[in-house]
Amino acid sequence: MKFLTTNFVKCAVKGCQSSQESFPLKYEECQLVQEEQEYNPEFITHMLERLDWNAILKVAHDLGNDRLPPNKPENLDPIMEDDQAVLRDLHTLLLETQIVEGKMVCGNCEHIYYIKNSIPNFLLPPHLC
Amino acid sequence: MLPTPIVKDVDYEKVYEPAEDSFLLLDCLEEEQEFIQSRFKNIIPIITEIGGGSGIVTTFLHKNILPNSIFITTDINPHACEAILNTVKVNKIDQDQDQDKPSTNSKIPTIPYLIDSCQMDLTSGIKAQEIDLLVFNPPYVPAEIVPEIPTNLNDDTWLDLALMGGEDGMITTWKILDNLHNILNPLHGVAYILFCARNKPDQVAQTMTSRGWNVETVILRKAGWEVLSILKFTKTS
Repeated sequence: MKFLTTNFVKCAVKGCQSSQESFPLKYEECQLVQEEQEYNPEFITHMLERLDWNAILKVAHDLGNDRLPPNKPENLDPIMEDDQAVLRDLHTLLLETQIVEGKMVCGNCEHIYYIKNSIPNFLLPPHLC
Repeated sequence: MLPTPIVKDVDYEKVYEPAEDSFLLLDCLEEEQEFIQSRFKNIIPIITEIGGGSGIVTTFLHKNILPNSIFITTDINPHACEAILNTVKVNKIDQDQDQDKPSTNSKIPTIPYLIDSCQMDLTSGIKAQEIDLLVFNPPYVPAEIVPEIPTNLNDDTWLDLALMGGEDGMITTWKILDNLHNILNPLHGVAYILFCARNKPDQVAQTMTSRGWNVETVILRKAGWEVLSILKFTKTS
């Protein structure tokens, strides 16, 4: 499961839908692997527009990365050297970082979801469906 | 004609084997190629296929229609979740070998591979109103029941979940249709859903139209003793 995907998944429990705490999930005991992707700065600037930056910061923190800028980088220009470094960092973090094994915990109901072989499992036991 | 992805090393005792319905979806998406590409030309879309199975449809979309997208494919069946990733990988290697670039000898693909496979019931773990393009080949066969989810990995009823759709074959499909406004992105969202004649797609279209959806039959085909069609849903602006 790519870091990027953490920006789009939440707790599957119905009762958690309206809770602010059910997104992003909290990531624990994660095993990470870097998987090479072609670097495409335009794709990243475009993609940034639709990301929830606070959620990115929280998940990055869970995974031990506190080096991201506190505000979503805007108007990044792939020609500028400073911006290039930011784009490269985002590329590595969002697109190349894979969570291979780990736990995802809902901040509202505390249900634990597992990631195994890069596949997160959001199925619920019958009593939570 | 756009190339059909390679599907191999999939255990068809456990994962739905691509059949007429899967190929109808590919033909539908090919026909819709221009519409889809122009609809998403200014954004990076989130694409979700529910019940990805062997991964043939998701791989087709990624390779041929919208490579620059974020794919989150779901399936309730753990064997299918693995098959999806495998099919993506098989077709990636195939592409790398096709690239005639002896000077760089690079194994890095030229398009992003942002495809995640989640074990999930429908879209229950995906944030509301995020999905731009939804594709669903549901369990549409009318049956007494919708089977329970097996608890054992080696259970031989995983495949039944891909087929049996309860009353009118519509129990699972209605779960999506009833919630479609909450699943699709309100601005760009579009859904392609497959039906057989016994699902009464005309009635479905009528009901959904009365709820404010544009419903269009994109493709209709006789496949053996079944008549299959794919409806496209977009929100009336």
